[in-house]
Amino acid sequence: MGKNNMAGSNDAQEQVFDEKSFEDLYRRMYPTLKKYAVYLVKDREEAQLILNDVFISIWKNNLIPANEKAYLFRAVKNASTNYHKKARVKLWHIDGEDETPEITDLKETPAQSFQNKDRNRMLYALINQMPERRRLIFYLYRIDGLSYKEIAALLDISVRTVEDHLVKGFQFLQQKVLNNKSEFR
Amino acid sequence: MDQETWKLVLAYVAEKERNGGRNLEVELLEQDLKDWAGNDPDRLEQLEQALHLWEDTATLHEDHSWQESFASIKQQLEPAKTRTIKKLNWLTMASAAAITGALVFFVFKNQKQQPVSESAITWITEKAAEGKIINILLPDSSEIWLNAGSSISFPKNLKHAAIRTVKLNGEAFFKVKRDPAHPFVVRSQNIQTRVLGTSFNIRAWKNNQPEVTVLTGKVAVSRDSAGKQSVAVHLLPNQQVIYDLKSNRLRCLNVEDAQASVDWRVGKMYFDRTPMEEVFQTISRKYAVKIISDQSFDSCELTAKFNNVSISEVLRTLALTFNIHYTINKQTIYIKGGKCN
Repeated sequence: MGKNNMAGSNDAQEQVFDEKSFEDLYRRMYPTLKKYAVYLVKDREEAQLILNDVFISIWKNNLIPANEKAYLFRAVKNASTNYHKKARVKLWHIDGEDETPEITDLKETPAQSFQNKDRNRMLYALINQMPERRRLIFYLYRIDGLSYKEIAALLDISVRTVEDHLVKGFQFLQQKVLNNKSEFR
Repeated sequence: MDQETWKLVLAYVAEKERNGGRNLEVELLEQDLKDWAGNDPDRLEQLEQALHLWEDTATLHEDHSWQESFASIKQQLEPAKTRTIKKLNWLTMASAAAITGALVFFVFKNQKQQPVSESAITWITEKAAEGKIINILLPDSSEIWLNAGSSISFPKNLKHAAIRTVKLNGEAFFKVKRDPAHPFVVRSQNIQTRVLGTSFNIRAWKNNQPEVTVLTGKVAVSRDSAGKQSVAVHLLPNQQVIYDLKSNRLRCLNVEDAQASVDWRVGKMYFDRTPMEEVFQTISRKYAVKIISDQSFDSCELTAKFNNVSISEVLRTLALTFNIHYTINKQTIYIKGGKCN
């Protein structure tokens, strides 16, 4: 799995970074971190604000803990918790704006990605069709290399549930691939 | 492939990656998988495919969605760091000028291609004179009602800015055109308000506690001191945040009727245990008058509602409430006597 061992909570080592590495960090973390924030607050715009606040504070302090992944996920989680505390009131709909939180991504249809024959792209098109939580777990596990235990803690679910989602996710992929064998390889 | 076998596969590949190769655990898991597959060609193929699926999901194809998102914060990063670098550039330019004019031209050309700096932005300022409330349509189709005695500044190229930033002195009601890709930021006395598309009122008079009240949508408010922002407080409709200058904290509260906070647009004035000093400021702005009163009277508080009435009616009410005497001389009002209830 990932090279970043999140279990150790050694935040003492910190690194100073420049614009390039900051942008790099953003690019690497964006896909999963954004999904995580959306998952927590159920609102894309709010998630974006939270994400940006976290990154801006990193930039302003000009250093991040050596264990950047663990730090970033925790920071987003804390910010979301604060958001929920503040927002624990009835949701008012005055202009009919923000009716339902929109959660699904705009995605290419599998048929489109079949055509470009790019296995990786096509697999992620399928992963993006999974239910929100399962998709998020897939990203956390596969892209960010977090362990079952770390994912369980971030989502406040059991390790067994994490494993279950992953297994079902992989089963789903395998099923789809089997059904469309001719399109592969 | 059944769930149990998938669990084995996942444990196997994870263990293998973690150890960068083989160990007893890996070998045991591998044996389990071999036992499951046996000599069944179908199962062997499934197993092989499972391992392919694992490998092919290891990376995410290049996706550019992060760029737009990053662009939205990039502008906010500039003040923290690049400012010093910019100054250096100017110094370089100055020394270059001493050597050769042609070189200056070259550097200047390069300078121009860099992201627009704060100083290069052309700001447009609109002001509502005392006694006047004005309505402004911004280039991005956002609407602003500016209360008497307030002013607002916005960049000429607001419509094309990554972040739509405006500066407010005083009080204004905003109806922001929805554009999630380009957040709308209001900088005012001590606070910064960030939204994507909502309507809200900001009250930020000099020397008073700033207040933001939300009518629709969502708003993020943070303290702002010398360009540094605190963690944002998020507000929903009928919520209000007050920046308590004494404790230096943002206080969030629910309001019964947020609409009341923008009734100034139709000339109404609400006072809720408001210090007389502030009451007089509000009256002078609304009626474009100057009020001169006994200092001792300033500590009294007023709770009252005024519809869009004349200044003399307001003064009559105050006279009855506080037992004051007043004289009007052109645009100046002199107040004498009076005591708090």
